Amino acid sequence: MSLVTTRPGTGAARPYAFPAIRRVTAHGGTVIAAHMPGQILASALLLLDAGAARETDGREGTATVLAKSLEEGTRKRDSAAYALALESLGAELSPGVDWDTFRVGVSAPGPLLADAVRLAAEAARTPKLDPADVLRVRDDEVTALRMDWAQPGPRADATLRADLFGADGRFSRPLHGDPASVAAVTVEDVLAFHEAWLRRPGVLLVAGDLDALDLAALAEAAFEDTSGEPLGQEGPLGVALPARRRTILVDRPDSVQSTLRLGHRAPERATPDYVPMMLAATVLGGAFTSRLNHLIREVKGYTYGIRGSYAMTRRWGRFEVAAGVQTAVTAPAIRDTLGEIARTQAEGITEEELEVARSWRAGQLSVEMQTPGAIAGALSTLVVHGLPDDYYETLRREYLEATVEQVSKASAEHLHVDALTLVVEGDGAVIREELAEFGEVVDSAI
Amino acid sequence: MTSPSAPVATTGYPWPIETTQLANGLRVVVSEDRTAPVVCVNLWYDVGSRHEPPGQTGFAHLFEHLMFEGSQHVKKTEHMKLVQGNGGSLNATTNPDRTNYFETMPSEHLELALWLEADRMGGLVPALTQETLDNQREVVKNERRQRYENVPYGDAWLRLLPLLYPEGHPYHHSTIGSMEDLNSAALDTFKAFHQQYYAPNNAVLTVVGDTTAAEVFALAEKYFGAIATVPDIPAAPDGSLPGPADKAVREEVTAKVPAPRIYLSHRTYPFGTAGYDAVTVLSTILGNGRGSRLYQRLADGARIAQPDYIGAYGVDLAHAPAPLIITATAKDGVDLQTLEDGLAEVVQSLIDEPVTADELNRAKALLTTSWWRGVSTVYGRADLLGRYATQFGDPATAADRLPKWLAVTAEDVTEAAKHVLRPESRVTLTYVPGEPS
Repeated sequence: MSLVTTRPGTGAARPYAFPAIRRVTAHGGTVIAAHMPGQILASALLLLDAGAARETDGREGTATVLAKSLEEGTRKRDSAAYALALESLGAELSPGVDWDTFRVGVSAPGPLLADAVRLAAEAARTPKLDPADVLRVRDDEVTALRMDWAQPGPRADATLRADLFGADGRFSRPLHGDPASVAAVTVEDVLAFHEAWLRRPGVLLVAGDLDALDLAALAEAAFEDTSGEPLGQEGPLGVALPARRRTILVDRPDSVQSTLRLGHRAPERATPDYVPMMLAATVLGGAFTSRLNHLIREVKGYTYGIRGSYAMTRRWGRFEVAAGVQTAVTAPAIRDTLGEIARTQAEGITEEELEVARSWRAGQLSVEMQTPGAIAGALSTLVVHGLPDDYYETLRREYLEATVEQVSKASAEHLHVDALTLVVEGDGAVIREELAEFGEVVDSAI
Repeated sequence: MTSPSAPVATTGYPWPIETTQLANGLRVVVSEDRTAPVVCVNLWYDVGSRHEPPGQTGFAHLFEHLMFEGSQHVKKTEHMKLVQGNGGSLNATTNPDRTNYFETMPSEHLELALWLEADRMGGLVPALTQETLDNQREVVKNERRQRYENVPYGDAWLRLLPLLYPEGHPYHHSTIGSMEDLNSAALDTFKAFHQQYYAPNNAVLTVVGDTTAAEVFALAEKYFGAIATVPDIPAAPDGSLPGPADKAVREEVTAKVPAPRIYLSHRTYPFGTAGYDAVTVLSTILGNGRGSRLYQRLADGARIAQPDYIGAYGVDLAHAPAPLIITATAKDGVDLQTLEDGLAEVVQSLIDEPVTADELNRAKALLTTSWWRGVSTVYGRADLLGRYATQFGDPATAADRLPKWLAVTAEDVTEAAKHVLRPESRVTLTYVPGEPS
C-alpha cells in the first residue's frame, strides 16, 4: 500500500447563507439581530456614530479616554461594584473607537446577555465621569501609549498617516491620538464628547440564538432615556497622490529588524471597485501564496511575513504594505517589494492567481464567520456602510464572478508605485545610506 | 436588576464524539456539527520542544515550517495554495508539549484537507531539500527577531523558562530555540526527526464540523491507512519534579524598555490535574479582569501599576508542573521595589485571606464564558479534542474540564496557594529601563 497519489476532487457544496436578520426598534434606536441557532454564547455591540473623526484638533484621543473611563463607575455604582456585577455574568466590556464609530461590546451566555447589555448601557449612557477619575485614566492612557510606541510599528504608522493625510486635519493623526494629544485632553473634552455623541440611541447589534433572547428587552435596555436624531454623513476625502515617491526614516537605534510601512491613498469603502481591489490586494499581498509573501518570505527569507492590503472607512482609503525585515536586507527587501507592486500595477494578475484569491475570499465568509462575535462584527459593516441585509450573499457571488480583466484594471487604477510613501523604522546608523537608493531620505518628525 | 445566575454546566462538550483507531495506530476523533458548512481538520503530533536534545533547540518548531513546503505529491508552495485557494484558513503551532496542524475548510473540501495531511505525514522526507531548510531557517530567525528580540520585554518567556526548570529538564529551553542551534541545523537531522516522530501511532487526527463519523473514518483509512507504524518512538526526557522549587531565584534585566516591569512565576501542577484546576481558578481570581485582586488593589486601589499591563495566567503544559505567571508594570514615578512589594502582598493575600463567594463566582463566570468562546469554532473544538486524546488518552474527558473548574472551592484555591505561591519557590524577573550592559 502507498499514499494516494492523486488529489481528490471537491464534494458537493452547501449553499452559503448569512444568518437571518431580525429588527426591533424602540426609543429611536434599532436592534439588528442575527439568528444563530444552538449558540451558547451571545454577543451584543452598541454602535454609536461617535468615531475618532468627531474629536477636536489637538485633542486626538478624547474618545479613547472616554471609552476607558466608562468602567470607572456609573451613576448607580462605583467601579469595583460595576466590575463585580459585570464579570459575575461572565462578561467583560469592550469599549472601543474606530474612525467611524464608538463601540461598546459584551458577550455572555445567552440567558445572561440582557443583564450584560443593561450594564453596558449603564456605562455607556450614564457613566459617573468623576473628574479625578477621568484625569487618572487620561494619564494612564498617555503612559499606555508610550508603552505601545516603544514597540516597533506605531511610530512608523503615525509617520505614514501624517504624510498621507497631512492636509486632512483629524485624519493626519493616529486613531487613538499620540502621547502629546492625549496629555492635552481635558475633563471638559471628555464630558462634552459624551454629552454630544453617546446619548443618542444608535444601533444595538446582536448575534446568538434568538429563540432564547428577548429582543424587545434588549432594545429597552440599550435605548431607554436616549435622545437625538441620526447624524448626517460627510463626503469622501478623495484620493490625493503626491507627484513623486517619498522616503521617511524613523530612527530606532540598534533595531535588529526594519519595520516597513509603504503606502498611498485609495478610495473610500463605498467605491464600486471594492471587490476587484480586495482581490488585487489578495494576489499582491493578502494570501500566503501572494506575490509579496512568496518572494520576500518564501524565496528570499527576508521576513517572517509581509502583507499588502487596502484599508477603507466611510471617508477615506489607503493602500499599505507592512513587514518587519532583517536590518541587513532592508534595501533589497524594499527594492523587491516595489518591483512586485510595479509589476502588479503594470501587468495585472493571472487567472491562476485569481482562482486562489476569489475562492479564498469567498470561503472566508463562512470559515471566519462562525462565532456570535464575528457575526456581530459583520453586522456592523452593514450598518456603518449602509449595506443591505443580503450583502454577504452578494459579496460572495461578486468575489466568485470577478474576472482577470476587472481585477487587473483595479490593480492599474488603484496601485501607484511611484506615489508611495516609504516609511522605514529601523537602525538609522546602519540603513540610512542605503535608503538613498529610493530617493532623498527625510527624518520623521514623530 | 434581577441577576439570574449562570446555568450550571454539567458538561463542557455538548456535541457528539466518536473515535476509532486505524491498524497503523492513528487515532481518529470526529465530532459532527451541521450548524455551518465548514469543517476543521486538526492533527496533534505528540512531539514538541521537550523532545529536543542539547544543541538542537528550536528544531521541532523549525520542522513545523518545513511541513508547509511540499511533500511527495504536493509541490512546493502548493499546500498553502490548495488550502487558501479553496477558501480555507490554516496554521500550525509548536509548544514544549506538542505540535499541531489545522485547517478549517468549506466542508466540500474535507477530502482535500485529509489528503494534504496524509501526504505530509507519510511522504515529507522525499520532498525535503537543503534549499527549503535554508530558506525556512531564515524565516524562523526572522520570527525570533520579530517576536522576541525586537520588542520590549519580548524575551521574558525565554528568560523565565531556565529559571523555572533545571538544566536538562525538557521545559528548560524555549521552543523558538537559540540562533546558534538554528544555524547548525542539518538536513539529515530533520529527515530523521520526521521519520522518528511523524508517525500515525504518534498522532491524533480530529475532524469537527459538517461531516459524519462514518465518512471521516472511511476517508482516514483511505488516505492515512497505508502509512507505516513507527516502532519504539522514544519518549521525551522525564519531566517529573519533586515539587515546587525550594529556592527563590531572581534575574534583573536592564534594557530598552519604557517602564519597570516584574514577572513573578511559580511551578504549579501539570495541566489536567485537580491541582491545576485550582490554579486556573486562582489565577482568574488573582489576575483576570477588572474585578481581580491585582487590578482592584494595585491598578485601582494603590494605583502603582498600569491598568493595561497587569494580570496572572497559567501556561497549560501537561508533562511537568506548569508555570503560573504574574506580571505588573509600574506607573510613572513608581519604583520597582514599591511595585514588587505591592505584588508580593497581593500574592500573599491568596494564602492569608480567604477567597470570598463573590470572588469565586466572578472567576467561575469568566472561565465559563472563556470556555464557551474557546469551543465556539470548529477549530477550537477540534484542537480541544486532539489535546485530550493526545495527553489524556480520551477526547471525551474534555467535557469534564469546565465542570471541574466549577467544582473548585474556596478552600481548594487557598490550599493551592499555600502549596505553590510560597516566596521561597518564587522566580522573580525584573526589567528596568536603561542601556543594556
